[in-house]
Amino acid sequence: MSLPIFFKTQNAYTQTIKLFACMIAIVLAGFYLLSAVIIPIVISLTLYAIFEPATLYLVRHNVNHSLSIIIVLVFLVFFSFIAIGFALPQLIEQIGLLQAKLPAIFSKLEGFLTHYSAEFSDQIGVDLDVSDMIVSTVSQSTLLGQSFLLNFSNKLLGVTIVFLLVPFLTYYLLKDFRSLRNHMMNWLPNTSFELGWLIYHRVSKQLQAYTRGVMIQSIIMSLVCMTGFSLIGLDIPILLGVITGILNLVPYIGPVISILLSLLVSSAMTPFDPSLLYLGVLVIVIAQIIDNVIVIPAVIANAVNLHPVQVILGIIIFGNLFGTLGVILAIPAIATAKIIFNNLYADILNENQKQSL
Amino acid sequence: MSHIFWSNIFNRPTSELQSIVELWQDTPLFENIPTRHVQFLSKKMHVRSFMAGERIFQLGSQGAGALMVLEGSVQIRADTTELALLKLGDFFGEIALAEPEKRTADAYSVTNTRLVYFLKQDLEEWIEYEPRLGSRFLMNLSAILARRLSLANKEMVTL
Repeated sequence: MSLPIFFKTQNAYTQTIKLFACMIAIVLAGFYLLSAVIIPIVISLTLYAIFEPATLYLVRHNVNHSLSIIIVLVFLVFFSFIAIGFALPQLIEQIGLLQAKLPAIFSKLEGFLTHYSAEFSDQIGVDLDVSDMIVSTVSQSTLLGQSFLLNFSNKLLGVTIVFLLVPFLTYYLLKDFRSLRNHMMNWLPNTSFELGWLIYHRVSKQLQAYTRGVMIQSIIMSLVCMTGFSLIGLDIPILLGVITGILNLVPYIGPVISILLSLLVSSAMTPFDPSLLYLGVLVIVIAQIIDNVIVIPAVIANAVNLHPVQVILGIIIFGNLFGTLGVILAIPAIATAKIIFNNLYADILNENQKQSL
Repeated sequence: MSHIFWSNIFNRPTSELQSIVELWQDTPLFENIPTRHVQFLSKKMHVRSFMAGERIFQLGSQGAGALMVLEGSVQIRADTTELALLKLGDFFGEIALAEPEKRTADAYSVTNTRLVYFLKQDLEEWIEYEPRLGSRFLMNLSAILARRLSLANKEMVTL
């Protein structure tokens, strides 16, 4: 790959960093321009990654391309309706139950923290008024919750329009993504054509494997936790199971939040049963063992090859920059960036070595 | 007749596709692979144009696939020594179909040249869905690589 003069002044590593920084700036600008529709685009791309093999399978069995996409989408809509029809009433009921329990959960939390803060204050000799802190935090979070609900209902129309885009975008991605991709890759100069395809190939392979893997992982985790919470008799098992499955998308941090959530729900149960605290944690620990011993090696193994420190730092930084979406997209984004950087570096290094000969 | 505005601009003209299919069929890579499949793969290939003297790839760069000369000629060289001069229908860079290896020589276009890229990722996808034909293709590929290796060995012995 031959580079413009701006990139040619330092060693290969510095050149790669400069080029990579330019690419990130372009991607961020793209994100900014598309910010209004970024959620349906991400959802559609995810659905594309999941359903593309099914459409290709039908196409290879001599089914017309458009027809195979329609068949896949009809199946998707059909099963979504069944799943929503079955789960939504129960989820709504359980959200109502959780809402009713929130005051009890907060008062338990307050009691617990007041008790332990008093002990802690005695030990270190500093007076900590946790009670006031909790009251203000609870009132703030209640206000936050109210404003969230208000915002949500105000934006409901926007949300509906955005989600109507998803099937539309998914259809066209399944139909035209490859042609569009080839067309765009043809814009690459001859010197970068092969490198561009190599990077695309590695990134797409990894992202597809990761997307399919985490989807399967979340569903398995949700089912395991739902069953476990139901068996131990914890309140709102379906909602808790679904939340645990979704939180599992966030490595390391997600399972900890799931454990805290199960502790809070079990502590707010009437009559209070202390054994539920341990059993709730046990369910999540068992689910994590199943996840780490069976699901991850079988489904996600080597989909992304990142160091735990990279993962945690990435989640914190992306979460800070892009919120919830950033937390979910942190791992695939870092894995993609890593592939691009390494390949660019290898190519620039080779070019420099060749020129110095 | 379809209007240019509404027609699918991404589709390759049939005559060009046909000549790509025929050229590949004449190579040992696609020996005993049915025309339907060569056509399927050829539709996925990418045609690129190079100016006379332009570098196609260089020694040590990562290869994404094999290339075939569709028009013009290509010189394969190590430093300034010419290793081969390739013309219409000749293919090169096929090692990249087997392994993500680095290119083992430089390739330059001698005249204005058009090349067809056959990418490893398209081959892999096809093999996934057509494992029986895929193994036949890989046998062809390994036979070509073995022949090249044996020729290289003979050359080393004579040096």
